[in-house]
Amino acid sequence: MQKSSKLTVVVAALSAAVMSLSACGGSSNNDASSTADNTINVYGCEPQNPLVPTNTNEVCGGNPIDLLFAKLVAFDDKGNAKNEVAKEIKASDGNKKYTITLNDGWKFTDGTPVTAASFTKAWSYGANVTNAQLSSSFFQNIEGFDTLQKKGADKNAQLSGLKVIDDKTFTVQLKDASSVFPTMVGYTAFAPLPESFFKNPKAFGQKPVGDGPYKFVSWDHNDSIKLVKNADYKGTAPAQNDGITFKMYTDTQPAYADVQGGQLDVLEQIPPSALKTFQKDSTVQAYNKPGSVTRAFTFPANLKHFSLGSQEGNLRRQAISMSINREQICDKVLNGTCSPAVDFISPVIPGYSDSLKGKSVLKYNPTEAKKLWAEANKISPWSDSETVEFSYNTDGGQKDVFDALVNQIKNTLGVKAETKPIPTFAEFRQNITERKMDALFRTGWQADYPAAEDYLTPLYSSAAADGKGSNDGDYKSTEFDNLLTKAASATNESEANKDYQAAEELLFKDLPSVPLYYENASGVAAKGVKNFKMNWKNLPVYQELTKK
Amino acid sequence: MGKYLLRRILQMIPVVIGTTLLIYALVFALPGDPVAAMFGDKPINQAVAQQIRSEYNLDKPFIVQYLIFLKNALTLNFGKTFSGQAVIDVMGRAFPVTIKLAIMAFVFEAIFGVVFGIISGLKRGKWYDSVILVVSLLLISVPTFVFGFVLQFLMGVKWGLLPVTAGSNPGFIDLLMPASVLGSVSMAYIIRLTRSEVSSNMAEDYVRTARAKGMSNSSVTLRHILRNSMIPVVTYLGTDIGALMGGAMVTERIFNINGIGNTLYQGILRGEGPLVVSIVTVLVLVFVICNLVVDMLYAVLDPRIRYA
Repeated sequence: MQKSSKLTVVVAALSAAVMSLSACGGSSNNDASSTADNTINVYGCEPQNPLVPTNTNEVCGGNPIDLLFAKLVAFDDKGNAKNEVAKEIKASDGNKKYTITLNDGWKFTDGTPVTAASFTKAWSYGANVTNAQLSSSFFQNIEGFDTLQKKGADKNAQLSGLKVIDDKTFTVQLKDASSVFPTMVGYTAFAPLPESFFKNPKAFGQKPVGDGPYKFVSWDHNDSIKLVKNADYKGTAPAQNDGITFKMYTDTQPAYADVQGGQLDVLEQIPPSALKTFQKDSTVQAYNKPGSVTRAFTFPANLKHFSLGSQEGNLRRQAISMSINREQICDKVLNGTCSPAVDFISPVIPGYSDSLKGKSVLKYNPTEAKKLWAEANKISPWSDSETVEFSYNTDGGQKDVFDALVNQIKNTLGVKAETKPIPTFAEFRQNITERKMDALFRTGWQADYPAAEDYLTPLYSSAAADGKGSNDGDYKSTEFDNLLTKAASATNESEANKDYQAAEELLFKDLPSVPLYYENASGVAAKGVKNFKMNWKNLPVYQELTKK
Repeated sequence: MGKYLLRRILQMIPVVIGTTLLIYALVFALPGDPVAAMFGDKPINQAVAQQIRSEYNLDKPFIVQYLIFLKNALTLNFGKTFSGQAVIDVMGRAFPVTIKLAIMAFVFEAIFGVVFGIISGLKRGKWYDSVILVVSLLLISVPTFVFGFVLQFLMGVKWGLLPVTAGSNPGFIDLLMPASVLGSVSMAYIIRLTRSEVSSNMAEDYVRTARAKGMSNSSVTLRHILRNSMIPVVTYLGTDIGALMGGAMVTERIFNINGIGNTLYQGILRGEGPLVVSIVTVLVLVFVICNLVVDMLYAVLDPRIRYA
């Protein structure tokens, strides 16, 4: 009797557990897409940092922030800058000084006005080392930046190059001339901040207040960020829906399944498992057009046989580039989600050209490649025991591309080629910044603002070499630098772009890195979502999405 | 009994200190600099990086970092993540979700595992015994994520019977599919374990004796066969609670559940030491406590076992 009663206790406990679980089942299934209003659920991920414009340099936080803050200029889908909060941005002193006048009537969502000080104080905060803001380098060309970067700078210190003239006017004094400055101020880090931010930046980072097309509602960590339409916004791109909810994922695969099942409205990335099928998938709407992200690989400056500037290195770099069949990689490996590269910027960026002199080096040409390789062998022979090695990080989904690259080089040049995968992005970048890389390595670039300058200066200027920037191949060319300087003081964009194109032609000759392809802006939307298209930043045009 | 319990609880202290030290060392040894990675492909502003490092004590030697962590942990301050949230808040949000999921998976595998195991064991050689055996073999041999994707596609996307992913504040219905995927492998093991125990116990002398006494079939099964067959099954189930919580990582990613597995995964990717160590420590505690409970349950199931 006693025995069975104990067993009964166990059984009773189990069934009680089941019952309590089924009892809580009533409150289930609260997916937002079933609500009747015109709120769009879009793909998101947990921001790595608090939601502060100057401290956000990744998409998880950047996408919501860009919708929350209107900047001096806004970019249209094509990447052309249009004045937004700014009424006028006037250059003087050969592009070294800018006078910025603001439009009337702009307000933050807490009711306070957007003034000249909202910008100058925000930028100074971002540039100040004591505040440890990740995007501080964007202010480096403003006079006074170096003072604010000294250890122990007063946390309220302001950039000396910014002067408030009156409520609606301020001036910016730059260290070096820059024709791209009026475009650059459209980047996230240049957003204005309300007074409440400076009183308590920590609290603001969890509950930001902006002046953009949307207003912040809530940030439910690891779950969602909710924004609603800001009725007071009267800028260039007002919301046509009632709000945007960023649903957070750690992986794109379940997000894709959610779009198929109608639980998510928009996803701007395609998981590898769906790359082959998404364009034919009848349960979703697909989008797939050339975008602004570029993929390339870079040679370490002093790699044996490939060293920068040497005759042998130059021949071998060209030979490697010509043995790669970019069309095949885009068609077969990436299933048509990329476009072969023909320049050093991207087709969606103003200044792009597909007819630059020297672009034939990016064309698959096995005969020429073999010839150049043989010429290089005359200078210094390539022994049979040597291998062309490619390094990449395996957490970025690039394995197939690099396996293909290696095979193409093996087949074309008849030399040994191998990949050298590194497990994480953090370790991979560390090897690069410490210049420990002893193989050709993966590089890529996503522009922060749509300008040729944002591809060429950070990646190839001498000032960004030797670990001071993203010039990982340590390319240093006075001729190239001079062209960039000339473009920086140009009086209009098309004139500047001519100089940038001339600079690109130099890159074709020296090949500090080898462009591979432009990643397409590809995404899917649920059936029933209207106006789904993607902008120059490879992101959906959130404001135009609607379900009505 | 009380003394035994106390001794077991005291044993947890060195276990917890040992694991935290080990995990902290492992996170510290992870190649790559998390602060440098924050800058992505962009140039690293060394002055800013230095400021961030000192804010998170990342500029101090390993053992100092660890001691600071341990000292703060005693006051339940587990540090904060790079996005400025307290680790304890992150865990406070993630654990309830995973516990819900683990309990559902546990109940699922316990009920179906034992019931099918008994049916199979009592009626060996019948056609349904074969079916159960083949299905359990399939569940053991197919990786969880394959089963998860297939179920998600069929039940969620194609037929629309269940939610595709769990989403925010998942309820019973949202977690039904993830829980059965999570519990499926263990269920298969429990079926096989119960089946072999039941069938071997059926041949025992005491069962024959009970039948000879004229005891009814159902009480023989319930009181003699089942009770004795449950000891290894309970052991398995006990240790499985910890495994279910720690092993939810794959399932949580497939179904986008904001639980411990997903949080841990992101923490490892971003090199967030305090977060990873705190979560793993709690998981270790869960493991240790489950083991203790299992040992206590032995005494309930088998009167010969007494703890002193």
